Amino acid sequence: MLQFEGRRYERAADETVLECLLRHGVAVASFCRSGACQTCVLKATAGTVPKSAQLGLKPSQQQQGYFLSCVCRPEAALSVERCDAAATYEARVLRVESLSAEVLRVWLSRPAGLEFRAGQFVQLERPGDGLMRPYSLASLPSEDELELHVARLPNGRMSGWLANAVGQPLLARGPFGECSYTMGEPDRPLILAGTGTGLSPLLGVLREAAENEHLGPISLFHGSRQLTGLYLRAELATLAARLPTLSLIGSVLSLTAEEQQQPGPWQLETGELDQLVISRYPKPVEHRLFLCGNPALVQRLRKRAYLAGASLSRIHCDAFAAPHAS
Amino acid sequence: MSSIYDRIGGEPAVDAAVDVFYRKVLSDDRISQFFDAVDMDRQRAKQKAFLTFAFGGPNQYTGQDLRVAHAKMKLTDAHFDAVMENLGATLTELGVPAALIAEAAAVAESVRPAVLNR
Repeated sequence: MLQFEGRRYERAADETVLECLLRHGVAVASFCRSGACQTCVLKATAGTVPKSAQLGLKPSQQQQGYFLSCVCRPEAALSVERCDAAATYEARVLRVESLSAEVLRVWLSRPAGLEFRAGQFVQLERPGDGLMRPYSLASLPSEDELELHVARLPNGRMSGWLANAVGQPLLARGPFGECSYTMGEPDRPLILAGTGTGLSPLLGVLREAAENEHLGPISLFHGSRQLTGLYLRAELATLAARLPTLSLIGSVLSLTAEEQQQPGPWQLETGELDQLVISRYPKPVEHRLFLCGNPALVQRLRKRAYLAGASLSRIHCDAFAAPHAS
Repeated sequence: MSSIYDRIGGEPAVDAAVDVFYRKVLSDDRISQFFDAVDMDRQRAKQKAFLTFAFGGPNQYTGQDLRVAHAKMKLTDAHFDAVMENLGATLTELGVPAALIAEAAAVAESVRPAVLNR
Protein backbone atom coordinates (compact mmCIF):
# COMPACT_ATOMS: atom_id res chain seq x y z
CA MET A 1 0.00 0.00 0.00
CA LEU A 2 1.25 3.42 -0.94
CA GLN A 3 -0.20 6.66 0.37
CA PHE A 4 0.49 9.84 -1.59
CA GLU A 5 -0.79 13.18 -0.36
CA GLY A 6 -3.65 11.54 1.48
CA ARG A 7 -4.76 9.10 -1.24
CA ARG A 8 -4.07 5.37 -1.16
CA TYR A 9 -2.75 3.39 -4.10
CA GLU A 10 -2.29 -0.37 -4.57
CA ARG A 11 1.35 -1.08 -5.33
CA ALA A 12 2.13 -4.17 -7.41
CA ALA A 13 4.87 -6.52 -6.21
CA ASP A 14 8.29 -5.30 -7.37
CA GLU A 15 6.90 -1.98 -8.57
CA THR A 16 8.86 1.15 -7.63
CA VAL A 17 7.10 4.05 -5.93
CA LEU A 18 7.52 6.08 -9.12
CA GLU A 19 6.10 3.34 -11.35
CA CYS A 20 3.14 2.91 -9.04
CA LEU A 21 2.31 6.62 -8.98
CA LEU A 22 2.71 7.01 -12.76
CA ARG A 23 0.50 3.96 -13.37
CA HIS A 24 -2.22 5.63 -11.31
CA GLY A 25 -1.90 8.87 -13.24
CA VAL A 26 -0.04 10.88 -10.58
CA ALA A 27 2.42 13.24 -12.31
CA VAL A 28 5.92 12.91 -10.87
CA ALA A 29 8.86 14.30 -12.87
CA SER A 30 11.66 11.82 -13.59
CA PHE A 31 14.62 11.53 -15.90
CA CYS A 32 17.22 8.76 -15.58
CA ARG A 33 15.01 6.32 -13.66
CA SER A 34 18.08 4.63 -12.26
CA GLY A 35 18.64 6.48 -9.00
CA ALA A 36 21.25 8.92 -10.25
CA CYS A 37 19.75 12.20 -11.40
CA GLN A 38 17.52 12.96 -8.36
CA THR A 39 14.73 14.44 -10.47
CA CYS A 40 12.11 12.16 -8.89
CA VAL A 41 12.91 12.82 -5.23
CA LEU A 42 9.94 12.50 -2.86
CA LYS A 43 9.64 12.68 0.91
CA ALA A 44 8.46 9.82 3.16
CA THR A 45 6.24 10.90 6.05
CA ALA A 46 5.51 7.45 7.51
CA GLY A 47 6.97 4.00 6.97
CA THR A 48 10.50 2.87 6.15
CA VAL A 49 12.44 3.70 3.01
CA PRO A 50 15.15 1.18 1.98
CA LYS A 51 18.64 2.67 2.44
CA SER A 52 19.39 1.89 -1.20
CA ALA A 53 16.76 4.45 -2.24
CA GLN A 54 18.62 7.26 -0.43
CA LEU A 55 22.08 6.76 -1.95
CA GLY A 56 23.64 10.01 -3.07
CA LEU A 57 21.33 12.28 -1.08
CA LYS A 58 22.74 14.53 1.61
CA PRO A 59 22.47 13.37 5.24
CA SER A 60 20.25 16.37 5.96
CA GLN A 61 17.90 15.22 3.19
CA GLN A 62 18.01 11.58 4.30
CA GLN A 63 17.10 12.61 7.85
CA GLN A 64 14.05 14.40 6.45
CA GLY A 65 12.91 11.23 4.67
CA TYR A 66 13.89 12.25 1.14
CA PHE A 67 14.30 9.31 -1.24
CA LEU A 68 14.62 8.47 -4.94
CA SER A 69 11.19 7.19 -5.97
CA CYS A 70 12.49 5.53 -9.17
CA VAL A 71 14.54 2.95 -7.25
CA CYS A 72 12.40 2.67 -4.11
CA ARG A 73 10.66 -0.65 -3.50
CA PRO A 74 9.43 -0.40 0.10
CA GLU A 75 8.87 -3.61 2.05
CA ALA A 76 5.79 -2.35 3.85
CA ALA A 77 3.23 0.43 3.70
CA LEU A 78 4.69 3.86 2.97
CA SER A 79 3.25 7.39 3.07
CA VAL A 80 4.93 9.91 0.80
CA GLU A 81 4.52 13.46 -0.42
CA ARG A 82 6.25 15.93 -2.70
CA CYS A 83 9.30 17.63 -1.20
CA ASP A 84 7.75 21.07 -1.39
CA ALA A 85 4.64 19.89 0.42
CA ALA A 86 4.37 21.53 3.81
CA ALA A 87 1.75 22.23 6.40
CA THR A 88 0.53 25.68 7.42
CA TYR A 89 0.57 26.68 11.08
CA GLU A 90 -0.85 29.56 13.06
CA ALA A 91 1.65 31.60 15.03
CA ARG A 92 1.76 34.94 16.84
CA VAL A 93 4.40 37.65 17.03
CA LEU A 94 5.69 37.65 20.62
CA ARG A 95 8.51 40.22 20.64
CA VAL A 96 10.51 42.35 18.24
CA GLU A 97 14.01 43.69 18.88
CA SER A 98 16.23 45.89 16.76
CA LEU A 99 19.60 44.19 16.18
CA SER A 100 21.01 46.91 13.92
CA ALA A 101 19.77 49.64 11.63
CA GLU A 102 19.12 46.96 9.04
CA VAL A 103 18.00 43.93 11.02
CA LEU A 104 15.09 43.07 13.31
CA ARG A 105 14.94 40.03 15.52
CA VAL A 106 11.41 38.63 15.68
CA TRP A 107 10.18 35.95 18.06
CA LEU A 108 7.08 33.96 17.19
CA SER A 109 5.09 31.51 19.25
CA ARG A 110 6.02 27.94 18.35
CA PRO A 111 3.02 26.33 16.67
CA ALA A 112 2.10 22.88 17.99
CA GLY A 113 3.14 20.20 15.51
CA LEU A 114 5.76 22.25 13.65
CA GLU A 115 8.84 20.02 13.53
CA PHE A 116 11.97 21.55 12.03
CA ARG A 117 15.76 21.63 12.11
CA ALA A 118 17.55 24.81 13.08
CA GLY A 119 18.63 26.61 9.89
CA GLN A 120 15.58 25.59 7.87
CA PHE A 121 13.19 28.30 6.74
CA VAL A 122 9.47 29.03 6.87
CA GLN A 123 7.22 31.15 4.68
CA LEU A 124 5.43 33.74 6.79
CA GLU A 125 2.07 34.91 5.54
CA ARG A 126 0.45 38.12 6.69
CA PRO A 127 -3.24 37.63 7.42
CA GLY A 128 -5.63 39.64 5.33
CA ASP A 129 -3.71 40.20 2.12
CA GLY A 130 -1.67 36.98 1.96
CA LEU A 131 1.71 38.73 1.57
CA MET A 132 4.42 36.05 1.95
CA ARG A 133 8.15 36.16 2.72
CA PRO A 134 10.62 33.40 3.59
CA TYR A 135 12.65 33.64 6.81
CA SER A 136 15.25 31.26 8.19
CA LEU A 137 15.04 29.92 11.72
CA ALA A 138 17.82 30.80 14.15
CA SER A 139 16.23 29.03 17.11
CA LEU A 140 16.55 25.41 18.16
CA PRO A 141 13.82 22.78 17.85
CA SER A 142 14.16 22.28 21.61
CA GLU A 143 13.06 25.86 22.29
CA ASP A 144 9.50 27.09 22.88
CA GLU A 145 9.76 30.08 20.56
CA LEU A 146 10.81 30.67 16.97
CA GLU A 147 13.52 33.25 16.33
CA LEU A 148 14.14 34.82 12.95
CA HIS A 149 16.12 37.78 11.64
CA VAL A 150 14.35 40.16 9.33
CA ALA A 151 16.16 42.52 6.95
CA ARG A 152 14.42 45.89 7.20
CA LEU A 153 14.34 47.92 4.03
CA PRO A 154 12.75 51.30 3.42
CA ASN A 155 9.23 50.52 2.18
CA GLY A 156 9.74 46.80 2.88
CA ARG A 157 6.15 45.63 3.20
CA MET A 158 6.62 42.58 5.40
CA SER A 159 9.53 43.94 7.46
CA GLY A 160 7.71 47.23 8.00
CA TRP A 161 4.64 45.41 9.19
CA LEU A 162 6.56 42.98 11.43
CA ALA A 163 8.33 45.87 13.18
CA ASN A 164 5.02 46.86 14.76
CA ALA A 165 3.23 43.53 14.81
CA VAL A 166 3.69 42.39 18.43
CA GLY A 167 0.60 40.42 19.41
CA GLN A 168 -0.52 39.92 15.79
CA PRO A 169 -1.36 36.48 14.40
CA LEU A 170 0.23 35.21 11.20
CA LEU A 171 0.62 31.97 9.24
CA ALA A 172 3.87 29.99 8.97
CA ARG A 173 4.27 27.43 6.18
CA GLY A 174 7.12 24.96 6.17
CA PRO A 175 9.68 23.96 7.11
CA PHE A 176 11.78 24.07 3.94
CA GLY A 177 15.46 23.74 3.08
CA GLU A 178 18.32 21.52 4.11
CA CYS A 179 20.75 24.02 5.60
CA SER A 180 20.95 22.28 8.97
CA TYR A 181 23.51 20.69 11.28
CA THR A 182 24.42 17.08 10.52
CA MET A 183 24.33 14.69 13.48
CA GLY A 184 26.85 11.92 13.97
CA GLU A 185 30.08 13.57 12.84
CA PRO A 186 31.23 15.53 15.91
CA ASP A 187 34.83 15.92 14.73
CA ARG A 188 34.20 17.39 11.30
CA PRO A 189 35.48 20.94 10.73
CA LEU A 190 32.64 23.32 9.87
CA ILE A 191 32.72 26.52 7.82
CA LEU A 192 29.72 28.81 8.24
CA ALA A 193 29.68 31.81 5.91
CA GLY A 194 26.97 34.33 5.21
CA THR A 195 26.05 37.92 4.50
CA GLY A 196 23.43 40.09 6.19
CA THR A 197 20.55 38.12 7.69
CA GLY A 198 22.25 34.98 6.37
CA LEU A 199 23.49 34.96 9.95
CA SER A 200 20.04 33.73 11.03
CA PRO A 201 20.29 30.15 9.65
CA LEU A 202 24.02 30.07 10.47
CA LEU A 203 23.21 30.89 14.07
CA GLY A 204 20.71 28.04 14.05
CA VAL A 205 23.39 25.64 12.78
CA LEU A 206 25.90 26.99 15.29
CA ARG A 207 23.50 26.65 18.23
CA GLU A 208 22.66 23.11 17.20
CA ALA A 209 26.37 22.29 16.93
CA ALA A 210 26.91 23.70 20.42
CA GLU A 211 23.93 21.82 21.83
CA ASN A 212 25.33 18.59 20.37
CA GLU A 213 28.80 19.30 21.80
CA HIS A 214 30.46 19.47 18.42
CA LEU A 215 34.22 18.88 18.82
CA GLY A 216 35.64 19.91 15.43
CA PRO A 217 36.71 23.49 14.74
CA ILE A 218 33.96 25.88 13.60
CA SER A 219 34.66 29.07 11.66
CA LEU A 220 31.83 31.55 11.34
CA PHE A 221 32.34 34.20 8.66
CA HIS A 222 29.86 37.07 8.62
CA GLY A 223 30.05 39.57 5.79
CA SER A 224 28.62 43.05 5.48
CA ARG A 225 29.47 46.23 3.62
CA GLN A 226 30.22 48.03 6.88
CA LEU A 227 31.10 47.10 10.43
CA THR A 228 27.69 48.33 11.64
CA GLY A 229 26.13 45.51 9.61
CA LEU A 230 27.80 42.82 11.76
CA TYR A 231 25.16 42.32 14.41
CA LEU A 232 24.62 40.15 17.49
CA ARG A 233 28.06 40.93 18.97
CA ALA A 234 27.26 40.18 22.61
CA GLU A 235 25.59 36.85 21.93
CA LEU A 236 28.30 35.67 19.60
CA ALA A 237 30.93 36.62 22.18
CA THR A 238 29.06 34.51 24.74
CA LEU A 239 28.87 31.57 22.32
CA ALA A 240 32.58 31.89 21.54
CA ALA A 241 33.40 31.84 25.25
CA ARG A 242 31.37 28.64 25.63
CA LEU A 243 32.79 27.02 22.48
CA PRO A 244 36.61 27.28 22.42
CA THR A 245 36.61 25.69 18.96
CA LEU A 246 34.67 28.63 17.48
CA SER A 247 36.41 31.36 15.43
CA LEU A 248 34.45 34.46 14.45
CA ILE A 249 35.64 36.27 11.36
CA GLY A 250 34.00 39.51 10.30
CA SER A 251 34.36 40.54 6.66
CA VAL A 252 33.62 44.12 5.61
CA LEU A 253 34.47 46.10 2.51
CA SER A 254 36.31 48.85 4.40
CA LEU A 255 37.27 49.76 7.95
CA THR A 256 38.11 53.11 9.53
CA ALA A 257 41.20 53.36 11.74
CA GLU A 258 38.91 53.72 14.73
CA GLU A 259 36.91 50.63 13.82
CA GLN A 260 40.08 48.59 13.56
CA GLN A 261 40.70 49.29 17.25
CA GLN A 262 37.33 48.00 18.38
CA PRO A 263 37.51 44.95 20.64
CA GLY A 264 36.11 41.57 19.35
CA PRO A 265 34.31 39.31 19.09
CA TRP A 266 35.15 39.33 15.38
CA GLN A 267 38.59 39.03 13.83
CA LEU A 268 38.05 41.74 11.25
CA GLU A 269 39.14 41.49 7.63
CA THR A 270 38.45 43.66 4.62
CA GLY A 271 37.53 42.31 1.20
CA GLU A 272 35.06 40.00 -0.46
CA LEU A 273 33.72 37.18 1.68
CA ASP A 274 34.30 34.39 -0.85
CA GLN A 275 37.91 35.44 -1.33
CA LEU A 276 38.45 35.51 2.41
CA VAL A 277 36.96 32.05 3.00
CA ILE A 278 38.97 30.44 0.19
CA SER A 279 42.22 32.13 1.22
CA ARG A 280 41.78 30.79 4.76
CA TYR A 281 40.64 27.37 3.57
CA PRO A 282 42.30 26.71 0.20
CA LYS A 283 41.59 22.93 0.41
CA PRO A 284 38.28 22.42 2.25
CA VAL A 285 38.24 18.72 1.34
CA GLU A 286 37.03 17.42 4.72
CA HIS A 287 34.91 20.39 5.73
CA ARG A 288 31.17 20.79 5.85
CA LEU A 289 30.13 24.22 4.58
CA PHE A 290 27.01 26.26 5.21
CA LEU A 291 26.60 29.24 2.87
CA CYS A 292 23.78 31.70 3.42
CA GLY A 293 22.57 35.10 2.27
CA ASN A 294 23.25 36.99 -0.96
CA PRO A 295 22.51 34.58 -3.86
CA ALA A 296 25.40 35.71 -6.08
CA LEU A 297 27.85 35.32 -3.21
CA VAL A 298 26.44 31.92 -2.22
CA GLN A 299 26.67 30.63 -5.80
CA ARG A 300 30.20 31.98 -6.24
CA LEU A 301 31.43 30.56 -2.96
CA ARG A 302 29.80 27.19 -3.56
CA LYS A 303 31.53 26.92 -6.93
CA ARG A 304 34.91 28.01 -5.58
CA ALA A 305 34.70 25.65 -2.62
CA TYR A 306 33.74 22.75 -4.90
CA LEU A 307 36.56 23.48 -7.35
CA ALA A 308 38.92 23.68 -4.35
CA GLY A 309 38.00 20.12 -3.42
CA ALA A 310 34.93 20.37 -1.17
CA SER A 311 32.30 17.68 -1.69
CA LEU A 312 28.95 19.01 -2.94
CA SER A 313 27.26 16.61 -0.54
CA ARG A 314 28.83 18.65 2.26
CA ILE A 315 27.90 22.10 0.96
CA HIS A 316 24.58 23.40 2.26
CA CYS A 317 23.14 26.59 0.85
CA ASP A 318 20.38 28.98 1.82
CA ALA A 319 20.46 31.80 -0.71
CA PHE A 320 18.11 34.70 -0.33
CA ALA A 321 17.95 38.25 -1.56
CA ALA A 322 16.75 41.08 0.61
CA PRO A 323 13.04 41.54 -0.01
CA HIS A 324 12.33 43.96 -2.81
CA ALA A 325 10.80 47.21 -1.76
CA SER A 326 7.53 47.42 -3.62
CA MET B 1 31.14 -8.70 -22.31
CA SER B 2 30.41 -6.65 -19.22
CA SER B 3 29.91 -2.89 -19.49
CA ILE B 4 32.56 -0.25 -18.77
CA TYR B 5 30.35 0.64 -15.82
CA ASP B 6 30.95 -2.77 -14.26
CA ARG B 7 34.59 -2.97 -15.27
CA ILE B 8 35.57 0.33 -13.66
CA GLY B 9 33.77 -0.52 -10.43
CA GLY B 10 30.09 0.41 -10.78
CA GLU B 11 28.33 3.17 -8.88
CA PRO B 12 31.15 4.14 -6.47
CA ALA B 13 33.60 4.56 -9.36
CA VAL B 14 31.14 6.70 -11.30
CA ASP B 15 30.52 8.77 -8.18
CA ALA B 16 34.24 9.54 -7.99
CA ALA B 17 34.49 10.18 -11.72
CA VAL B 18 31.62 12.64 -11.74
CA ASP B 19 33.48 15.08 -9.48
CA VAL B 20 36.57 14.99 -11.67
CA PHE B 21 34.40 15.52 -14.75
CA TYR B 22 32.13 18.22 -13.31
CA ARG B 23 35.09 20.21 -11.96
CA LYS B 24 36.65 20.16 -15.43
CA VAL B 25 33.41 21.30 -17.03
CA LEU B 26 32.94 24.14 -14.52
CA SER B 27 36.51 25.29 -15.10
CA ASP B 28 36.23 25.21 -18.89
CA ASP B 29 35.64 28.75 -20.16
CA ARG B 30 34.17 27.44 -23.41
CA ILE B 31 31.14 25.98 -21.61
CA SER B 32 31.16 27.08 -17.97
CA GLN B 33 28.68 29.89 -18.65
CA PHE B 34 25.93 27.33 -19.24
CA PHE B 35 26.32 26.14 -15.67
CA ASP B 36 26.39 29.45 -13.82
CA ALA B 37 22.71 29.75 -13.06
CA VAL B 38 21.90 26.12 -12.37
CA ASP B 39 21.61 24.31 -9.09
CA MET B 40 24.92 22.51 -8.63
CA ASP B 41 23.49 19.58 -6.68
CA ARG B 42 20.98 18.81 -9.41
CA GLN B 43 23.55 19.40 -12.10
CA ARG B 44 26.02 17.00 -10.47
CA ALA B 45 23.27 14.38 -10.31
CA LYS B 46 22.53 14.90 -14.02
CA GLN B 47 26.23 14.59 -14.85
CA LYS B 48 26.27 11.33 -12.96
CA ALA B 49 23.32 10.07 -14.94
CA PHE B 50 25.15 11.06 -18.14
CA LEU B 51 28.35 9.25 -17.14
CA THR B 52 26.35 6.19 -16.08
CA PHE B 53 24.81 6.23 -19.55
CA ALA B 54 28.16 6.71 -21.32
CA PHE B 55 29.62 3.79 -19.36
CA GLY B 56 26.72 1.48 -20.22
CA GLY B 57 25.40 1.37 -16.65
CA PRO B 58 21.75 1.12 -15.62
CA ASN B 59 19.88 4.07 -17.12
CA GLN B 60 16.81 5.07 -19.05
CA TYR B 61 18.37 7.93 -20.97
CA THR B 62 16.31 8.74 -24.04
CA GLY B 63 17.09 11.12 -26.83
CA GLN B 64 13.81 12.89 -26.20
CA ASP B 65 14.75 13.87 -22.61
CA LEU B 66 18.10 15.23 -23.77
CA ARG B 67 16.52 17.09 -26.65
CA VAL B 68 14.03 18.88 -24.43
CA ALA B 69 16.61 19.62 -21.72
CA HIS B 70 19.03 21.29 -24.15
CA ALA B 71 16.60 22.75 -26.68
CA LYS B 72 16.83 26.41 -25.65
CA MET B 73 20.57 26.60 -25.03
CA LYS B 74 21.72 27.36 -28.60
CA LEU B 75 24.55 24.85 -28.38
CA THR B 76 27.03 24.21 -31.18
CA ASP B 77 29.40 21.41 -32.11
CA ALA B 78 32.20 23.31 -30.38
CA HIS B 79 30.31 23.10 -27.07
CA PHE B 80 29.65 19.41 -27.53
CA ASP B 81 33.30 18.83 -28.46
CA ALA B 82 34.39 20.56 -25.26
CA VAL B 83 32.28 18.19 -23.17
CA MET B 84 33.69 15.19 -25.07
CA GLU B 85 37.20 16.46 -24.44
CA ASN B 86 36.52 16.80 -20.70
CA LEU B 87 35.06 13.30 -20.65
CA GLY B 88 38.18 11.89 -22.29
CA ALA B 89 40.49 13.82 -19.98
CA THR B 90 38.55 12.60 -16.94
CA LEU B 91 38.87 8.96 -17.92
CA THR B 92 42.55 9.36 -18.79
CA GLU B 93 43.15 10.94 -15.38
CA LEU B 94 41.41 8.02 -13.70
CA GLY B 95 43.66 5.56 -15.53
CA VAL B 96 40.98 4.00 -17.73
CA PRO B 97 42.57 2.15 -20.70
CA ALA B 98 42.35 3.87 -24.08
CA ALA B 99 40.15 1.18 -25.60
CA LEU B 100 37.52 1.66 -22.91
CA ILE B 101 37.70 5.43 -23.27
CA ALA B 102 36.98 5.08 -26.97
CA GLU B 103 34.01 2.87 -26.17
CA ALA B 104 32.56 5.44 -23.72
CA ALA B 105 33.23 8.25 -26.19
CA ALA B 106 31.29 6.41 -28.89
CA VAL B 107 28.26 6.07 -26.61
CA ALA B 108 28.43 9.73 -25.59
CA GLU B 109 28.86 10.75 -29.23
CA SER B 110 25.58 9.01 -30.08
CA VAL B 111 23.57 11.71 -28.30
CA ARG B 112 25.15 14.61 -30.21
CA PRO B 113 22.10 15.06 -32.54
CA ALA B 114 19.68 15.12 -29.60
CA VAL B 115 21.73 17.59 -27.56
CA LEU B 116 22.27 19.89 -30.56
CA ASN B 117 18.59 19.55 -31.50
CA ARG B 118 19.10 18.17 -35.02
